[in-house]
Amino acid sequence: MIPRHLIAATALLLALAIAMGIYVAKLRRREAITPIPSRDEQHVTPPASGRTEQVTVWVARDDSGTLIPQSIVVPSSPEKQQRAEELLRGLLDFYVSKNSPHPLGAGAEIHDVYLVDPGLAVIDLNAAFADEHASGVLAEELTVVSMIQTLAANIPGLTRVKILVDGKDRDTLAGHVDLSSFYDVSQVSQLARQLSAQ
Amino acid sequence: MPWNKSGITRLAVLLLLSLPALLIHSQTAPSSSPAPNQTPPQPASPSPPLILIDPAHGGADSGAALNAAFPEKDVTLVLARRLRQDLASHGMSAQLLRNGDNTLPLDQRAAMVNASHPALYLVIHATSQGSGIRLYSAMLPSGQSSRGPFLDWQTAQTSALAHSRSIQAQITTTLQKTGFPMRSLVAPLRPLNNLIVPAIAIEVAPTSADVSQLASSDYQETVCGDLANAFAATLPLLRTGP
Repeated sequence: MIPRHLIAATALLLALAIAMGIYVAKLRRREAITPIPSRDEQHVTPPASGRTEQVTVWVARDDSGTLIPQSIVVPSSPEKQQRAEELLRGLLDFYVSKNSPHPLGAGAEIHDVYLVDPGLAVIDLNAAFADEHASGVLAEELTVVSMIQTLAANIPGLTRVKILVDGKDRDTLAGHVDLSSFYDVSQVSQLARQLSAQ
Repeated sequence: MPWNKSGITRLAVLLLLSLPALLIHSQTAPSSSPAPNQTPPQPASPSPPLILIDPAHGGADSGAALNAAFPEKDVTLVLARRLRQDLASHGMSAQLLRNGDNTLPLDQRAAMVNASHPALYLVIHATSQGSGIRLYSAMLPSGQSSRGPFLDWQTAQTSALAHSRSIQAQITTTLQKTGFPMRSLVAPLRPLNNLIVPAIAIEVAPTSADVSQLASSDYQETVCGDLANAFAATLPLLRTGP
């Protein structure tokens, strides 16, 4: 004969186990329905609490297919490399804003900018930047030229630029503009002037 | 030792890539040995210079998704076929580098063009952004140079670049007279920089926000008709070569 209190305890434990099972199933379903926000979903610019400086960035406009030099304020940094990153992040703020003149895909971000003497800059984009980029010769060219010209206009002595995606070589930005080689800054500056004059 | 292992491997790969182009060339080149009992050829007008038209993308590479039903690779092929027809009606010689939905890597395209040595290489792209026609010549990369008799692959266009830009300027002038919206620029666009012959690219966009205009027969006729007229005007330049 099984004691009565043992039956009661077993029934209680069983009921608890079933209740916990239902609760866990509910939690799982809720997790499956709610999308997990991507780490790179939104471009975040830290507030410029310290010293700032006024710089000129070259902003692409899809409606006219032109580049427009525009003054913005970015956090000032004594370190060249960090300054280069601030410049490009300032430019990117235009492209990821609500009324962007040249929209980039969700999650587009610049990982790093490396400055290597003499006169070489390496821009490392994230995969979303390239994968979600609009495909077309001029659309891709405007992006590349705006980034390189923004660096060239603010960092003296820059002669060459290489663009990587997730730290690796990539053939094209989005099927057209070549990323496999080094860009000659003087040629890009000449093109930027041509694109801004039209 | 001037020949190292990687150099020989590269040369072998280039030769292999050139084979299809040699086949094209052998099909198109006029026979050099006259048939027996043939009358001596009469002095005739020189044959028109060859324009090699390359509809960009193809096969696994669809290019831009202009809309769900019409990827860039299809628009470029339709435009290329129509332009070839229009050039022929102007008495010009034109061939397509791709005449079906097949994948052609950029290096292979460049090798085929360099082997067949046309008077002009023209690659056609299509886009939903912007308006009208955009003409591009190569923007060469930095820090590369040819060594001895071997041309650097990334800057092979150097010797033909001035001629490419003269042709581009001539086409621009003619197209501007038609009033059709157009721009003339340089672009870092392969395979233009890998070519030893004059080379330009064309990007065709609709004149309105409606991308389906690219698939319209009327629009294609206007674009290709104007382009064919502009190419006809470059004939003296094409004959002189770089």
